[in-house]
Amino acid sequence: MRIEISGLTKTYRGGVHAIDGLDLDIPTGMFGLLGANGAGKTTLMRILAGIVRPSAGRVVVGGHDIASGPGRTAVQRELGYLPQDLGVYPDLTARQFLDYVALLKGMDDRSARRRRVGELLEVVALTEYADRRLRGFSGGMRQRVGIAQALLADPRLLIVDEPTAGLDPEERIRFRTLLSQFAGRRTVLLSTHIVDDIGQTCREAAVLAKGRMIFRGTVEELTRRARGRVWEVVTDGPAPAEGTVVSALPHDDGMRYRVVARTAPSAQARPLDPSLEDGYLAVTADQAAAGREPASR
Amino acid sequence: MRPITLWRYEARRTGWAAVLGPPLAVALGIAAALAYPEPSDTTTARILLGGLEMAVPLAAAVVCSTLIGQDPAREVQLTVPTPYRITLLRRMIVVLSWTAAVAVLAAAVLIVTGWWARWPQNHGAFAGQLTWLAPMLGLSGLGFAAGAVLRSPAAAGAIVTTVWAIQQFFADAVQEHLPGRLLYLFATTRGAATDDWLANRLVLVGAGAVLVALALILLGRPERLISEEDE
Amino acid sequence: MTAFGASLRYEFRMQVRKRSVWIVPALTLVLFVLIGGSLLRDLFDPGERPLDPRTGVVGLAVQLHALLAIGFGCLLADRLVRDDRLGVAPILDATPASPAARLLGKYLGAAAATAVPIALAYFGFAAAYAIDIGQPVAMAWALAAFAVVIVPGLLLVAAFALAVPMIMPAPLFRVLFVGYWLWGNIVSPEMMPTLARTLFHPLGGYPLDVLFDFHGIDGEDTWAGPVAGATLNVLRPDPTPALALLSIVLLLIVSAAALAGGHVLRARRIR
Repeated sequence: MRIEISGLTKTYRGGVHAIDGLDLDIPTGMFGLLGANGAGKTTLMRILAGIVRPSAGRVVVGGHDIASGPGRTAVQRELGYLPQDLGVYPDLTARQFLDYVALLKGMDDRSARRRRVGELLEVVALTEYADRRLRGFSGGMRQRVGIAQALLADPRLLIVDEPTAGLDPEERIRFRTLLSQFAGRRTVLLSTHIVDDIGQTCREAAVLAKGRMIFRGTVEELTRRARGRVWEVVTDGPAPAEGTVVSALPHDDGMRYRVVARTAPSAQARPLDPSLEDGYLAVTADQAAAGREPASR
Repeated sequence: MRPITLWRYEARRTGWAAVLGPPLAVALGIAAALAYPEPSDTTTARILLGGLEMAVPLAAAVVCSTLIGQDPAREVQLTVPTPYRITLLRRMIVVLSWTAAVAVLAAAVLIVTGWWARWPQNHGAFAGQLTWLAPMLGLSGLGFAAGAVLRSPAAAGAIVTTVWAIQQFFADAVQEHLPGRLLYLFATTRGAATDDWLANRLVLVGAGAVLVALALILLGRPERLISEEDE
Repeated sequence: MTAFGASLRYEFRMQVRKRSVWIVPALTLVLFVLIGGSLLRDLFDPGERPLDPRTGVVGLAVQLHALLAIGFGCLLADRLVRDDRLGVAPILDATPASPAARLLGKYLGAAAATAVPIALAYFGFAAAYAIDIGQPVAMAWALAAFAVVIVPGLLLVAAFALAVPMIMPAPLFRVLFVGYWLWGNIVSPEMMPTLARTLFHPLGGYPLDVLFDFHGIDGEDTWAGPVAGATLNVLRPDPTPALALLSIVLLLIVSAAALAGGHVLRARRIR
């Protein structure tokens, strides 16, 4: 299910530009969306999910223009959506909540609905807790319920906003694998702060900053953007002033800093191979340096 | 026709106030009638019918005013093919149906025991059901519409209770002119002009329908529901 | 004191910038003007207004208090349970601040903020009236009526609005509250047992009757004291200035008791 976005702008009351003239094509398969808080990721996802109306521009999802009511409904029939802050009804059990959402998704056949709910409880490893009220669920368990509800109607488009927040490492890996397997001929749009999640699941990604796209390409391309710009600095003095410090690890000789910078931060700096996270930081640092001028791919 | 299970889930979303409110309102009406120190048939009957006309619609309307604004799962609700406004309307229908069931039962008891007939302006057993039905629909429509505009159950509830109270405190002033008489909620038990009764009831039903329709138009813009609430 | 001050300040700020705190009283006033027969119009009609400025502003206090207190109570009904709903309660409970001080700050801060539009409306109309009749003394009576009649009544309403939703859903409280307000203030004691005209009259029958010598706009009503044939006359002694003060104190004691009840319920819930 292809998503074509052209000239998309969203301005909230008070003149805040959440999305500012965005052009983006998202193909079938897993697609990652990266960006700092306030970059416009959640607004973009809400627009695609039909919750928020664009101020300008065009969005076509699987051939349906979401500007029209019938277009939005057609997209919602094919959609699974996991919001950043999933709210649930605390008085319902996990099974009841999923059963209710399934009904809202038009799954009126009782036995098919029950079967599907049972399958998904199994998939998210909640069968044991299926008949407990959501009131007592931990954050991670609620998130798994959220994942299950998004998959209920076997959607062709799955939009997940920060899905691995609150999951423990094993759950995170399990969920990433689930998403990758699910993608196949479907479109999965994964928005996250956790760069590693994108690296492990997506072939392509985009980076947003201040409502504009500052990168669009493959994950390898994003990683390459930091080639020749990643350095290791070992010092017992202050942290390097130049560039972005990616990590700081205590070491026998002092602190070992991993830094993304255009030039070597010190004479002793040693070049390192870039990671995806370095690539992301390099792109955002370039954008910050360029001020308001958006970069192209 | 959607499965009954869906209606059951929506009924759970309306909360305890929706379940307890109408019977409690009937009970308060009966308590007020019993508390009257010098029982005369007419006055006791008036208080009993007054419970149906005043307390029962208030209970339903305050619950309807809380339907919009505090749904924890509204972001998911807004992305499913079932439009959220239809879901909210379904919840309102559940509230009104339960209130109607309680009111019909209470009215039936009053009719069977003869209390209904003892209030001279009772308008019969059939059309007389507009005693509670019309103010319930009018006031609930107001509550639902106020909820859609303000997205704050506290504010919408305040508007419903204030309108109700103004009509109680200033019954004479409110009914001085025809528009006020047509929109007066308590025309059966405190009406100034008996001849206006049927027109008053129909206008209240119509006003309720118009307000619900306006609310549904407003609720067609999901962005209004996702943006910050008046907490 | 710090916890009380912080709670008071921020509860006031949060509440006073809520749109609904302003919209609800504004709509009430519009409706009140539209229906006619209210002092909001009559005070400015030389043919209708009372001759005595004290009667004018005290009558205005009674009408605005009776009406605006309903929205006031409904708007406050979710303030205590709201902390739990928004997930703020565990953070606040984890601070060393005394829960009682926080509750008191919340109570006074939220109540004061919700009362701001009521005060503005009352003093605004009273000032316009004072200018219209050229008698500044009307403002002094307005200040006195606000402090002695409106404030204790609003404190009572606020205490119950915070505490009662701890034991029942807020919508149910709103229904019962408006029923109580009608019953406890307006219903005639001859009709059924009621708190109207007793020492517990939330509209302040005793202070109105004794301290302001207020007997309705036409000067023909009484607001306190025994009613022939009515029940609960034991709570309606003949009005005296001391009883007027006692009536105010009783309203404040009942408010404190309601608030203490809310505090105990909340403490039990988080234990």
